[in-house]
Amino acid sequence: MSSSSTPLVCRLCGQEHRPVSLAPGDRAVCARCDTVLASRPRLGPDAPVAFALTGLLLAPPAMLLPFVSAAKLGHDRAALLFTGVEALWDQGMHLLAIWVCLCGGAVPAALLVTLAGLLLPPRLGRQPLRPRMLWQAAHAFGHWAMPEVQVLAVLVALMKLGKLVDVAIGPGFWCYVAMTLALLCAWHSFEVTFANTPPEETADVPASPS
Amino acid sequence: MKRRLPRLRSENLANASALAAAAAVMLVPANLLPVLTTRQPGQNRTDTIFSGTVQLWRSGLGAIAIIVFTASILIPMLKLLGLAWLILVARRRRIRNARRLTQLYAALDFIGRWSMLDVFLVAFLSGLVQFGALSSVEPRPGIVAFAVAVVFTVLATQAFDPRVLWREPQPPATSP
Repeated sequence: MSSSSTPLVCRLCGQEHRPVSLAPGDRAVCARCDTVLASRPRLGPDAPVAFALTGLLLAPPAMLLPFVSAAKLGHDRAALLFTGVEALWDQGMHLLAIWVCLCGGAVPAALLVTLAGLLLPPRLGRQPLRPRMLWQAAHAFGHWAMPEVQVLAVLVALMKLGKLVDVAIGPGFWCYVAMTLALLCAWHSFEVTFANTPPEETADVPASPS
Repeated sequence: MKRRLPRLRSENLANASALAAAAAVMLVPANLLPVLTTRQPGQNRTDTIFSGTVQLWRSGLGAIAIIVFTASILIPMLKLLGLAWLILVARRRRIRNARRLTQLYAALDFIGRWSMLDVFLVAFLSGLVQFGALSSVEPRPGIVAFAVAVVFTVLATQAFDPRVLWREPQPPATSP
Protein backbone atom coordinates (compact mmCIF):
# COMPACT_ATOMS: atom_id res chain seq x y z
CA MET A 1 0.00 0.00 0.00
CA SER A 2 2.53 2.58 1.04
CA SER A 3 6.24 2.90 0.65
CA SER A 4 6.78 2.36 4.36
CA SER A 5 6.13 -0.76 6.40
CA THR A 6 3.71 1.09 8.69
CA PRO A 7 0.84 -1.24 9.56
CA LEU A 8 -2.69 -0.30 8.52
CA VAL A 9 -4.76 0.41 11.59
CA CYS A 10 -8.53 0.21 11.42
CA ARG A 11 -9.91 3.53 12.67
CA LEU A 12 -13.02 1.86 14.11
CA CYS A 13 -11.82 -1.31 15.83
CA GLY A 14 -8.07 -0.65 16.13
CA GLN A 15 -7.04 -3.90 14.45
CA GLU A 16 -3.59 -3.73 12.87
CA HIS A 17 -2.98 -5.20 9.41
CA ARG A 18 0.14 -5.81 7.39
CA PRO A 19 0.47 -3.45 4.37
CA VAL A 20 -0.71 -4.99 1.08
CA SER A 21 -0.31 -4.12 -2.59
CA LEU A 22 -3.54 -3.21 -4.36
CA ALA A 23 -4.46 -3.24 -8.05
CA PRO A 24 -6.44 -0.27 -9.45
CA GLY A 25 -10.01 -0.51 -8.17
CA ASP A 26 -9.10 -2.95 -5.39
CA ARG A 27 -9.76 -2.18 -1.77
CA ALA A 28 -8.60 -3.59 1.52
CA VAL A 29 -11.11 -4.11 4.29
CA CYS A 30 -10.59 -4.73 7.97
CA ALA A 31 -10.50 -8.45 8.71
CA ARG A 32 -12.35 -7.84 11.95
CA CYS A 33 -15.10 -5.23 11.31
CA ASP A 34 -15.26 -4.90 7.48
CA THR A 35 -14.34 -1.18 7.49
CA VAL A 36 -12.55 -0.09 4.29
CA LEU A 37 -8.90 0.43 5.20
CA ALA A 38 -7.49 1.47 1.84
CA SER A 39 -8.25 1.38 -1.84
CA ARG A 40 -6.39 2.15 -5.02
CA PRO A 41 -8.30 4.70 -7.15
CA ARG A 42 -9.25 3.68 -10.69
CA LEU A 43 -8.55 7.21 -11.92
CA GLY A 44 -4.85 7.13 -11.15
CA PRO A 45 -2.62 8.76 -8.56
CA ASP A 46 -3.19 12.33 -9.79
CA ALA A 47 -6.98 12.18 -9.35
CA PRO A 48 -7.14 13.20 -5.66
CA VAL A 49 -4.95 16.26 -6.30
CA ALA A 50 -6.97 17.14 -9.39
CA PHE A 51 -10.22 16.98 -7.40
CA ALA A 52 -8.79 19.12 -4.57
CA LEU A 53 -7.44 21.78 -6.97
CA THR A 54 -10.71 21.79 -8.96
CA GLY A 55 -12.64 22.37 -5.74
CA LEU A 56 -10.28 25.20 -4.78
CA LEU A 57 -10.75 26.88 -8.18
CA LEU A 58 -14.54 26.64 -7.85
CA ALA A 59 -14.71 27.94 -4.26
CA PRO A 60 -14.31 31.72 -5.02
CA PRO A 61 -17.05 31.87 -7.71
CA ALA A 62 -19.29 29.70 -5.51
CA MET A 63 -18.97 32.25 -2.71
CA LEU A 64 -19.05 35.45 -4.77
CA LEU A 65 -21.50 34.83 -7.64
CA PRO A 66 -25.29 35.01 -7.19
CA PHE A 67 -26.58 31.79 -5.69
CA VAL A 68 -30.30 32.12 -6.24
CA SER A 69 -32.46 35.07 -7.31
CA ALA A 70 -36.08 35.54 -6.29
CA ALA A 71 -38.79 37.84 -7.60
CA LYS A 72 -42.22 38.81 -6.30
CA LEU A 73 -44.54 41.38 -7.91
CA GLY A 74 -41.69 43.19 -9.67
CA HIS A 75 -39.29 43.13 -6.72
CA ASP A 76 -36.06 41.20 -7.39
CA ARG A 77 -33.60 39.89 -4.84
CA ALA A 78 -30.37 37.97 -5.42
CA ALA A 79 -28.85 35.86 -2.65
CA LEU A 80 -25.22 34.84 -2.29
CA LEU A 81 -23.95 31.83 -0.37
CA PHE A 82 -23.60 33.87 2.82
CA THR A 83 -26.80 35.93 2.53
CA GLY A 84 -28.51 33.53 4.93
CA VAL A 85 -25.64 34.00 7.38
CA GLU A 86 -26.20 37.77 7.26
CA ALA A 87 -29.92 37.28 7.91
CA LEU A 88 -29.22 35.13 10.98
CA TRP A 89 -26.68 37.69 12.21
CA ASP A 90 -29.17 40.54 11.75
CA GLN A 91 -31.73 38.59 13.80
CA GLY A 92 -29.25 38.45 16.69
CA MET A 93 -28.45 34.75 16.20
CA HIS A 94 -24.72 35.42 16.03
CA LEU A 95 -23.41 32.02 17.08
CA LEU A 96 -25.76 30.23 14.70
CA ALA A 97 -24.69 32.57 11.88
CA ILE A 98 -21.04 31.79 12.56
CA TRP A 99 -21.83 28.08 12.71
CA VAL A 100 -23.67 28.07 9.36
CA CYS A 101 -20.85 30.12 7.81
CA LEU A 102 -18.28 27.62 9.08
CA CYS A 103 -20.06 24.40 8.08
CA GLY A 104 -21.31 25.64 4.71
CA GLY A 105 -18.40 27.74 3.46
CA ALA A 106 -15.31 28.29 5.58
CA VAL A 107 -14.59 24.72 6.69
CA PRO A 108 -15.13 23.15 3.22
CA ALA A 109 -12.70 25.74 1.78
CA ALA A 110 -10.21 25.05 4.58
CA LEU A 111 -10.54 21.31 3.95
CA LEU A 112 -9.77 21.81 0.25
CA VAL A 113 -6.69 23.90 1.09
CA THR A 114 -5.53 21.25 3.57
CA LEU A 115 -6.04 18.40 1.09
CA ALA A 116 -4.16 20.31 -1.62
CA GLY A 117 -1.34 20.99 0.86
CA LEU A 118 -1.10 17.29 1.67
CA LEU A 119 -1.60 15.78 -1.78
CA LEU A 120 0.07 18.23 -4.18
CA PRO A 121 3.70 18.33 -2.90
CA PRO A 122 4.25 14.54 -3.28
CA ARG A 123 3.08 14.75 -6.90
CA LEU A 124 5.73 17.45 -7.45
CA GLY A 125 8.40 15.34 -5.77
CA ARG A 126 8.44 17.40 -2.59
CA GLN A 127 7.69 16.75 1.05
CA PRO A 128 4.51 18.40 2.42
CA LEU A 129 5.03 20.88 5.23
CA ARG A 130 4.00 19.33 8.55
CA PRO A 131 2.06 16.38 7.06
CA ARG A 132 0.93 15.03 10.41
CA MET A 133 -0.57 18.38 11.42
CA LEU A 134 -2.27 18.69 8.02
CA TRP A 135 -3.62 15.13 8.35
CA GLN A 136 -5.10 15.92 11.75
CA ALA A 137 -6.55 19.19 10.46
CA ALA A 138 -8.10 17.43 7.48
CA HIS A 139 -9.81 14.88 9.72
CA ALA A 140 -11.06 17.63 12.05
CA PHE A 141 -12.40 19.66 9.11
CA GLY A 142 -13.90 16.52 7.54
CA HIS A 143 -16.36 16.18 10.44
CA TRP A 144 -17.72 19.71 10.09
CA ALA A 145 -17.57 20.41 6.35
CA MET A 146 -21.16 19.92 5.20
CA PRO A 147 -21.53 21.43 1.71
CA GLU A 148 -23.58 18.46 0.49
CA VAL A 149 -26.15 19.14 3.22
CA GLN A 150 -26.22 22.81 2.17
CA VAL A 151 -26.88 21.76 -1.44
CA LEU A 152 -29.79 19.55 -0.37
CA ALA A 153 -31.16 22.37 1.83
CA VAL A 154 -31.11 24.80 -1.12
CA LEU A 155 -32.91 22.28 -3.34
CA VAL A 156 -35.56 21.73 -0.65
CA ALA A 157 -35.90 25.51 -0.25
CA LEU A 158 -36.38 25.98 -4.01
CA MET A 159 -39.18 23.42 -4.01
CA LYS A 160 -40.76 25.03 -0.96
CA LEU A 161 -40.53 28.53 -2.44
CA GLY A 162 -42.23 27.54 -5.68
CA LYS A 163 -45.61 28.84 -4.53
CA LEU A 164 -44.31 31.84 -2.57
CA VAL A 165 -41.95 33.63 -4.99
CA ASP A 166 -40.44 33.13 -8.46
CA VAL A 167 -36.95 31.69 -8.08
CA ALA A 168 -34.05 31.23 -10.52
CA ILE A 169 -30.80 29.40 -9.85
CA GLY A 170 -27.66 31.51 -10.35
CA PRO A 171 -24.13 30.55 -11.44
CA GLY A 172 -22.88 30.61 -7.84
CA PHE A 173 -25.08 27.64 -6.97
CA TRP A 174 -23.78 25.54 -9.88
CA CYS A 175 -20.20 26.38 -8.90
CA TYR A 176 -21.02 25.39 -5.31
CA VAL A 177 -22.49 22.05 -6.46
CA ALA A 178 -19.40 21.35 -8.57
CA MET A 179 -17.12 22.38 -5.67
CA THR A 180 -19.05 20.02 -3.38
CA LEU A 181 -18.65 17.09 -5.79
CA ALA A 182 -14.92 17.83 -6.16
CA LEU A 183 -14.54 18.03 -2.39
CA LEU A 184 -16.36 14.74 -1.82
CA CYS A 185 -14.20 12.97 -4.43
CA ALA A 186 -10.99 14.49 -3.02
CA TRP A 187 -12.00 13.60 0.56
CA HIS A 188 -12.86 10.02 -0.37
CA SER A 189 -9.54 9.62 -2.22
CA PHE A 190 -7.69 11.14 0.74
CA GLU A 191 -9.28 8.82 3.28
CA VAL A 192 -8.34 5.67 1.40
CA THR A 193 -4.94 6.93 0.21
CA PHE A 194 -3.73 7.69 3.70
CA ALA A 195 -5.15 4.43 4.96
CA ASN A 196 -6.47 5.87 8.24
CA THR A 197 -2.94 6.37 9.49
CA PRO A 198 -1.34 9.79 9.97
CA PRO A 199 1.87 10.30 7.98
CA GLU A 200 5.06 10.78 9.94
CA GLU A 201 6.75 14.17 9.81
CA THR A 202 9.93 12.54 8.57
CA ALA A 203 8.56 9.65 6.57
CA ASP A 204 7.48 9.64 2.94
CA VAL A 205 3.83 10.47 2.45
CA PRO A 206 2.13 7.79 0.35
CA ALA A 207 1.11 9.77 -2.71
CA SER A 208 -0.31 6.66 -4.33
CA PRO A 209 -0.48 2.98 -3.53
CA SER A 210 2.43 1.02 -4.89
CA MET B 1 5.63 5.53 15.24
CA LYS B 2 3.63 7.46 17.81
CA ARG B 3 0.08 6.27 18.01
CA ARG B 4 -2.68 7.72 20.15
CA LEU B 5 -3.74 5.22 22.75
CA PRO B 6 -7.44 4.72 23.41
CA ARG B 7 -8.70 6.67 26.36
CA LEU B 8 -9.89 4.87 29.43
CA ARG B 9 -13.19 3.13 28.78
CA SER B 10 -14.92 4.90 31.68
CA GLU B 11 -13.75 8.34 30.50
CA ASN B 12 -14.74 7.58 26.91
CA LEU B 13 -18.23 6.44 27.86
CA ALA B 14 -18.78 9.23 30.40
CA ASN B 15 -18.01 11.93 27.83
CA ALA B 16 -20.19 10.30 25.18
CA SER B 17 -23.04 9.81 27.70
CA ALA B 18 -22.90 13.44 28.87
CA LEU B 19 -22.93 14.81 25.32
CA ALA B 20 -25.75 12.47 24.25
CA ALA B 21 -27.78 13.51 27.31
CA ALA B 22 -27.19 17.19 26.49
CA ALA B 23 -28.35 16.54 22.92
CA ALA B 24 -31.49 14.80 24.19
CA VAL B 25 -32.28 17.75 26.47
CA MET B 26 -31.78 20.28 23.65
CA LEU B 27 -34.05 18.31 21.33
CA VAL B 28 -37.02 19.19 23.58
CA PRO B 29 -36.97 22.98 22.96
CA ALA B 30 -35.79 22.30 19.41
CA ASN B 31 -39.02 20.45 18.69
CA LEU B 32 -41.36 22.58 20.82
CA LEU B 33 -40.20 26.10 19.92
CA PRO B 34 -40.96 27.66 16.51
CA VAL B 35 -38.12 27.59 13.99
CA LEU B 36 -39.53 29.81 11.23
CA THR B 37 -42.08 32.58 10.67
CA THR B 38 -43.43 33.26 7.17
CA ARG B 39 -45.14 36.61 6.60
CA GLN B 40 -47.39 37.30 3.62
CA PRO B 41 -50.13 39.90 3.14
CA GLY B 42 -52.98 38.80 5.36
CA GLN B 43 -51.26 35.61 6.44
CA ASN B 44 -48.56 35.09 9.07
CA ARG B 45 -47.49 31.57 9.83
CA THR B 46 -45.10 30.31 12.53
CA ASP B 47 -43.90 26.72 12.32
CA THR B 48 -42.10 24.23 14.50
CA ILE B 49 -40.02 21.55 12.80
CA PHE B 50 -42.92 19.10 12.88
CA SER B 51 -45.66 21.55 11.81
CA GLY B 52 -43.42 22.73 8.94
CA THR B 53 -43.08 19.14 7.78
CA VAL B 54 -46.85 18.61 7.98
CA GLN B 55 -47.38 21.85 6.02
CA LEU B 56 -45.05 20.59 3.29
CA TRP B 57 -47.02 17.35 3.11
CA ARG B 58 -50.35 19.18 2.91
CA SER B 59 -48.96 21.44 0.16
CA GLY B 60 -48.46 18.39 -2.03
CA LEU B 61 -44.68 18.27 -1.50
CA GLY B 62 -44.71 14.75 -0.09
CA ALA B 63 -41.18 13.80 -1.14
CA ILE B 64 -39.73 17.01 0.34
CA ALA B 65 -41.73 16.46 3.53
CA ILE B 66 -40.27 12.97 3.87
CA ILE B 67 -36.71 14.30 3.35
CA VAL B 68 -37.17 17.03 5.97
CA PHE B 69 -38.89 14.64 8.41
CA THR B 70 -36.08 12.11 8.01
CA ALA B 71 -33.27 14.65 8.39
CA SER B 72 -34.76 16.77 11.16
CA ILE B 73 -36.79 14.36 13.28
CA LEU B 74 -35.97 10.76 12.46
CA ILE B 75 -32.16 10.97 12.21
CA PRO B 76 -31.58 12.85 15.51
CA MET B 77 -33.86 10.38 17.33
CA LEU B 78 -32.28 7.32 15.72
CA LYS B 79 -28.82 8.66 16.37
CA LEU B 80 -29.49 9.25 20.05
CA LEU B 81 -31.15 5.84 20.46
CA GLY B 82 -28.26 4.16 18.63
CA LEU B 83 -25.68 5.96 20.74
CA ALA B 84 -27.54 5.08 23.94
CA TRP B 85 -27.58 1.44 22.86
CA LEU B 86 -23.84 1.46 22.09
CA ILE B 87 -23.01 3.13 25.41
CA LEU B 88 -25.12 0.63 27.36
CA VAL B 89 -23.61 -2.35 25.53
CA ALA B 90 -20.06 -1.00 25.98
CA ARG B 91 -20.56 -1.01 29.76
CA ARG B 92 -21.18 -4.75 29.78
CA ARG B 93 -18.45 -7.12 30.84
CA ARG B 94 -18.78 -9.25 27.73
CA ILE B 95 -19.76 -7.78 24.36
CA ARG B 96 -21.32 -9.88 21.64
CA ASN B 97 -21.77 -8.86 17.99
CA ALA B 98 -18.96 -6.29 18.14
CA ARG B 99 -18.79 -6.31 14.33
CA ARG B 100 -22.47 -5.34 13.96
CA LEU B 101 -22.15 -2.73 16.71
CA THR B 102 -19.13 -1.22 14.94
CA GLN B 103 -21.12 -1.06 11.72
CA LEU B 104 -23.94 0.62 13.63
CA TYR B 105 -21.46 3.20 14.91
CA ALA B 106 -20.17 3.83 11.37
CA ALA B 107 -23.77 4.35 10.17
CA LEU B 108 -24.53 6.77 13.03
CA ASP B 109 -21.33 8.68 12.27
CA PHE B 110 -22.37 8.98 8.60
CA ILE B 111 -25.99 10.06 9.02
CA GLY B 112 -25.46 12.65 11.75
CA ARG B 113 -24.45 15.53 9.50
CA TRP B 114 -27.72 15.37 7.54
CA SER B 115 -29.59 16.73 10.55
CA MET B 116 -28.09 20.12 9.69
CA LEU B 117 -30.49 20.26 6.74
CA ASP B 118 -33.13 22.27 8.61
CA VAL B 119 -30.54 24.75 9.92
CA PHE B 120 -29.23 25.45 6.40
CA LEU B 121 -32.81 25.57 5.10
CA VAL B 122 -33.93 28.21 7.62
CA ALA B 123 -30.77 30.28 7.05
CA PHE B 124 -31.20 30.18 3.27
CA LEU B 125 -34.93 31.05 3.34
CA SER B 126 -34.33 33.88 5.81
CA GLY B 127 -31.70 35.39 3.54
CA LEU B 128 -33.58 35.05 0.26
CA VAL B 129 -37.19 35.84 1.12
CA GLN B 130 -36.98 39.47 2.26
CA PHE B 131 -39.60 41.42 0.28
CA GLY B 132 -40.83 43.64 3.11
CA ALA B 133 -44.60 43.67 3.36
CA LEU B 134 -44.98 41.42 0.31
CA SER B 135 -43.29 38.38 1.78
CA SER B 136 -40.63 37.63 4.35
CA VAL B 137 -39.18 34.73 6.32
CA GLU B 138 -37.65 35.08 9.79
CA PRO B 139 -35.71 32.52 11.85
CA ARG B 140 -37.09 31.76 15.32
CA PRO B 141 -35.32 30.57 18.51
CA GLY B 142 -36.16 26.88 17.96
CA ILE B 143 -33.61 26.66 15.17
CA VAL B 144 -30.82 27.69 17.57
CA ALA B 145 -31.82 24.92 19.99
CA PHE B 146 -31.96 22.46 17.11
CA ALA B 147 -28.49 23.44 15.86
CA VAL B 148 -27.09 23.01 19.39
CA ALA B 149 -28.73 19.57 19.61
CA VAL B 150 -27.17 18.55 16.28
CA VAL B 151 -23.73 19.73 17.40
CA PHE B 152 -24.05 17.74 20.64
CA THR B 153 -25.05 14.58 18.76
CA VAL B 154 -22.05 14.92 16.43
CA LEU B 155 -19.72 15.54 19.39
CA ALA B 156 -21.23 12.58 21.27
CA THR B 157 -20.54 10.31 18.30
CA GLN B 158 -16.96 11.56 18.12
CA ALA B 159 -16.50 11.12 21.87
CA PHE B 160 -17.53 7.47 21.68
CA ASP B 161 -14.45 5.44 20.75
CA PRO B 162 -15.71 2.26 18.99
CA ARG B 163 -12.52 0.45 19.96
CA VAL B 164 -14.08 -0.07 23.41
CA LEU B 165 -16.33 -2.62 21.70
CA TRP B 166 -13.20 -4.72 20.96
CA ARG B 167 -11.49 -5.12 24.26
CA GLU B 168 -9.56 -8.33 23.86
CA PRO B 169 -6.32 -7.83 21.88
CA GLN B 170 -6.33 -9.65 18.54
CA PRO B 171 -3.26 -11.00 16.68
CA PRO B 172 -2.24 -9.07 13.52
CA ALA B 173 -4.22 -10.16 10.48
CA THR B 174 -3.71 -9.77 6.74
CA SER B 175 -6.43 -7.83 4.99
CA PRO B 176 -8.11 -9.75 2.16
